[in-house]
Amino acid sequence: MKKLVLTLFALALIPLAATAQDKITLKGKELFGDMRARHIGPALMSGRINDLELHPSNSRIIYAGTAGGGVWKSSDGGATFSPIFDDYVQSIGVVTLDPNDPDQTIWVGTGETWTRNSVSVGDGLYRTTDGGGTWKEIPGFENSERIASVVVNPKNSNEVYVGVLGALWSDSEDRGVYKTTDGGKTWNKILYVGPSTGAADVIMDPTNPNVLYTSMWQFRRTGWGFNSGGENSAIYKSTDAGKTWNKIHNGFPGGKLGRIGLAVAPSDNNRLYAVLETEDKAKNGLWVSKDAGKSWEHLNNDFGLVVRPFYFSRITVDPRNPDIIVKGGLSGSISRDGGKTFKNLGQMHSDIHDVVFHIKDSDIMYAGTDGGVYRSWNGGTTFEIVENLPLSQFYHISVDDAEPYNVYGGLQDNGSWWGPSSSPGGVEARDWNSVGAGDGFRVLKHPTKNIIYSEMQGAENVWRYDVDKNRTKTIQPLPRKGDEELRFNWNAPMAVSAHVPDRFYMGSQFVHRSDDMGDTWTIISPDLTTNDPAKQDQSKSGGLSVDNSGAENHTTIFTIAESPLDQNILWVGTDDGNVQVTQDGGKTWNNVTPNLVGIPANTWVYHIEASVHGKGTAYAVFDGHTTGDMKPYALKTTDFGKTWKNIITDDIDERAFVRNIQEDYENEDLLFLGTEFGLYVTIDGGKNWSHFTNNMPLVAVHFIDLQKQTNDLVMGTHGRGVIIIDDISPLREIDQEILAKDVHFFDTEPITMVEQGGFSGNFGAETQFVGGNKPTSARIIYYLKKRHTFGKMAMEIQDMEGNTLTELNPGKSKGINVVNWNFNTTTPKMAAAKTFSFGGFTSPRVPAGKYKVVLTKGKNTYEHIIETKYDDTAITTLAERKKQEEMTQEMFDMVEDLAYMVYEIGEMQDKAKEVMENNPKGKKTAQKLYDALEDLRTDLVVTTGDNYVASAEPELRERMAELYANIAGSYDRVSGAQLQNYELIKEEFENEKNRYAEIKNKEGKKFMRFLEKNDMELSMDSKEEYLEDK
Amino acid sequence: MKTVKTLFFAIVFAAISPLAQAQDMTADEIIDAYFENTGGQDNWEDIESLRYTGTANVQGMEFPWIMTMTEDGKQALVIDFQGQKITQYAYDGETMWTTNFMTQEAEKADAETSDNMKKASKKNFISPLLNYKDKGYEVELIGNETIEGTDTYKIKLTEDPIMVDGVETPKISYYFFEKENMVPIAIETEVKQGPMAGQKIQDSMSDYQEVDGLYFPFSMTQGGQAMQVTKIEVNPEIDDAVFAFPEKK
Repeated sequence: MKKLVLTLFALALIPLAATAQDKITLKGKELFGDMRARHIGPALMSGRINDLELHPSNSRIIYAGTAGGGVWKSSDGGATFSPIFDDYVQSIGVVTLDPNDPDQTIWVGTGETWTRNSVSVGDGLYRTTDGGGTWKEIPGFENSERIASVVVNPKNSNEVYVGVLGALWSDSEDRGVYKTTDGGKTWNKILYVGPSTGAADVIMDPTNPNVLYTSMWQFRRTGWGFNSGGENSAIYKSTDAGKTWNKIHNGFPGGKLGRIGLAVAPSDNNRLYAVLETEDKAKNGLWVSKDAGKSWEHLNNDFGLVVRPFYFSRITVDPRNPDIIVKGGLSGSISRDGGKTFKNLGQMHSDIHDVVFHIKDSDIMYAGTDGGVYRSWNGGTTFEIVENLPLSQFYHISVDDAEPYNVYGGLQDNGSWWGPSSSPGGVEARDWNSVGAGDGFRVLKHPTKNIIYSEMQGAENVWRYDVDKNRTKTIQPLPRKGDEELRFNWNAPMAVSAHVPDRFYMGSQFVHRSDDMGDTWTIISPDLTTNDPAKQDQSKSGGLSVDNSGAENHTTIFTIAESPLDQNILWVGTDDGNVQVTQDGGKTWNNVTPNLVGIPANTWVYHIEASVHGKGTAYAVFDGHTTGDMKPYALKTTDFGKTWKNIITDDIDERAFVRNIQEDYENEDLLFLGTEFGLYVTIDGGKNWSHFTNNMPLVAVHFIDLQKQTNDLVMGTHGRGVIIIDDISPLREIDQEILAKDVHFFDTEPITMVEQGGFSGNFGAETQFVGGNKPTSARIIYYLKKRHTFGKMAMEIQDMEGNTLTELNPGKSKGINVVNWNFNTTTPKMAAAKTFSFGGFTSPRVPAGKYKVVLTKGKNTYEHIIETKYDDTAITTLAERKKQEEMTQEMFDMVEDLAYMVYEIGEMQDKAKEVMENNPKGKKTAQKLYDALEDLRTDLVVTTGDNYVASAEPELRERMAELYANIAGSYDRVSGAQLQNYELIKEEFENEKNRYAEIKNKEGKKFMRFLEKNDMELSMDSKEEYLEDK
Repeated sequence: MKTVKTLFFAIVFAAISPLAQAQDMTADEIIDAYFENTGGQDNWEDIESLRYTGTANVQGMEFPWIMTMTEDGKQALVIDFQGQKITQYAYDGETMWTTNFMTQEAEKADAETSDNMKKASKKNFISPLLNYKDKGYEVELIGNETIEGTDTYKIKLTEDPIMVDGVETPKISYYFFEKENMVPIAIETEVKQGPMAGQKIQDSMSDYQEVDGLYFPFSMTQGGQAMQVTKIEVNPEIDDAVFAFPEKK
């Protein structure tokens, strides 16, 4: 045994010795400890849904696979949803329950399948066998990018078919239909037609699992166009469980086909529906086969059936009636005559991607749209939105310097908004304000005036909104005589100046500058793009169905960054790969693109961050995903772009393409990287990166801002709304010296004790998402070298003399810990009574000043001093506040004096009772004392009733505590009424004290003599002992 | 003797660390190591009753509480509000009950909640993991996870299903065992009812300290609320009245 122990010791020592000299490099959760992100939504306009899935037997359970916000589960019939897939890629193609084990086994195919320009990407196939508690990636689909279908044989869970739609922007041999017969261990590709044609739908005959149908789709997107359709698009059928496949096109027009949506009626397996995109417009739309695909008949080419096939090719057939069918679309369409005629679904957010019927009642339907999940109770005529899906898809965000600061941003298909970063009761739907229509992108606050700039797609409108006057003006740059046609990106760049408040920039192929808030514009650059005509004809984009929404406009400026140090330095990045810089306010431009290192030609310049750490310093990030290049790219220059340095390392997922970078304003080495798979942070200038995953899903981060006053990192995500990491300043300080310490407290500026108290009634919000608030309390931040598991660890706040004011619950995490203290000490000890005194739940606030945070950990004690200060917006004078603090203390003591008096009375009564019961000789004496005390006690505290409507009239304790709480909890001076009330209560208490003294003197003395004579004792705690025992 | 024992524990903990990382452990090995290292399987099994005394600190308000439980499944949580003892909940082996905050009178919990308690309370005295096989529970080692900055083993525990609003629902929780010390530092569960239904909560445990040769966590969160334990009594004298449903006056 001894030998074994020694050997184990040796084992233990080897790695220790080897690493002792090395630098401490903490990554991810080891570094961030319990620093957590908070989500503020909004959910009022929700976000795009890709796929809905119902439990086959429990109608309470619904799953939503979302375009960019993960998988959400409802256990209450769609009233509310919770996320169950936050640790994985958030772009979802399909959610499928195993029909043989629907409570536990769920398949998730990632990568959204409605292939608009702004889609996110997936990274494979996942399965849980415990209802979503843990997920495992199924090997073999790492490069699938988009999975459209997962079908499980209802008679054999080991037999599963997966339809891979595949890469959107490049060829891929991973496309096609796959099959496993061993529950996912091994897979065979059983249908593949080429590197540009993927599986758009795989469905199974509802009664015969050997019969399968697949629609294959030939498609491709580029940064400047989209092509749907080709010779390879087709419907295939297999009757031998996927061994052989045959096209079933009898009746279809010849030529190219586009995206095909496919459905079989659950109640009639011969009835197939297909929506087609063909070369013959008259033959587009809905087709039916009544003989399981042998022949087809054209039914309908109404707008709702042919609109944007790449976006809306979903057909759902009522599970109980083969003639009732629903098709996704701009509004969604429903037919009750087998597809001959349709009407629109009821009003809801436009762009309906999936509709499902309740498992028992076809009146109940759920729809997945560009704006969340909707419920209908009347067969699709009226829809209501699910209010707690914060799936908003931001393209961009910004912040202002209000307190609390506001967040501004634009959303995919959901306009532009601004809302507070904190709000009484949490950030609710009603806190958000609309500030733009259409698709929203960049929203910027004027630096000094209460004016907001916003825009819609392609700068078709740029708005200047005067918040105070509620006036809107359109201000986009317009072509003048002799100008070339302006090319604006779908997501057109705007910027405000930090140096000239009324200055406003926009980018087309030129940089436009206005010095009067957009009223007049000057072009201050030549065409800064490649101006490649091959990328400029969007009129034919779309393929078989023209789709020229403007979303593919290319060879445009995408990012404009004015140096915070010099108004004449401007950086510009274009969607076709150019980085240009001017140092003279636009007179001359330097194309520094040839100096970039490691960036493939023409890679989209997604963001340039002009640094505060040097005029020539900037960061540029590049996004190649629209060419199929998912690699992360970020470069830094310190010499105006003459030379660049790569700051990406292997720590970052090789497919996590980058859209944004944010530098810290104080520590040049602290950087935040927004990628397709979430947030990465470096504290050493890019030598090491850590994935931030504490309450931060792997959602696409499109834009990051760092709010200057609070040091809050604010992220605009494309699928989970606005996510904030409160106060990142501890990350500035971390160095080797700190990392080597057992405990390190981070310094904080003097902390304002925020004085605000309003109301937050929120009836009607029971099923709404409510965003978390930033605590207004003091944040005590420290680093622990190890997670504390064994032995005592406690934290308390002491005054500078070492008196304990209150105890706090310390965090025990390895890495950074954050403990909040709301500036309160402890509540007074209340006199015992029949009911509660609600005033007694108030604890006094501390005065402004210095306090000791004392952390004890095992035998060691660590101290740190923090300072609190009064709110600058205080409504009292300092003298008034000191009076309030003094009176608070006086009332606090009075409340505890009363408590001790009632305690004494109780102890005496107990003793008297004991005598009454056991000593007949003393019964009379004891009874007298008891009665006198009881008489007094009932005037001191409530002795009857309950805490609700049977409550008794308040006695002295209740009135005293009420006054105490009102004075202690107020941010105002003590009012005249309170002072008068104080006189009354003080006098009353004096009278009761006198009464008590009299009783003690009279009945008490007699009783004590009796005790003495009979060798009995009355012992009770001293006041100090009594108060100690809180 | 005590010093020797502590020293021995220190050695065991130090030893387990590299061992754990050097080779894969099974769920059973992890659970066995936990009970052995914290006092020994037999000693844990021998416990008949427990009484925890502690405080919950809610930003300046301190609520003392006493949790009592017995091996036959009875339990009671009594909280002190302004000197009044309120039974937050109790279970007497048959009936679970709570105290109505308004009337301060005892009220029976709904039948479903009582039944769920009845099914689990006896089995889960000490820990559902203790002799989990005999209870018909299942465990599975899911893998590694970083919890509170430290490396842990994630173990899935499946207990008897519970009823939720009339529907039988699996009861699954995840235990995170810190590799370095081989004790659980967090438990993750899904909230089944109420406004938080569907959300996952992670409760953490720390400040393990020795009582009569057994190591208990003296600091924990329950539903996010921090609870500090000041005293643990093993096999204390217990008056069954604390569990009994008081008939209405």
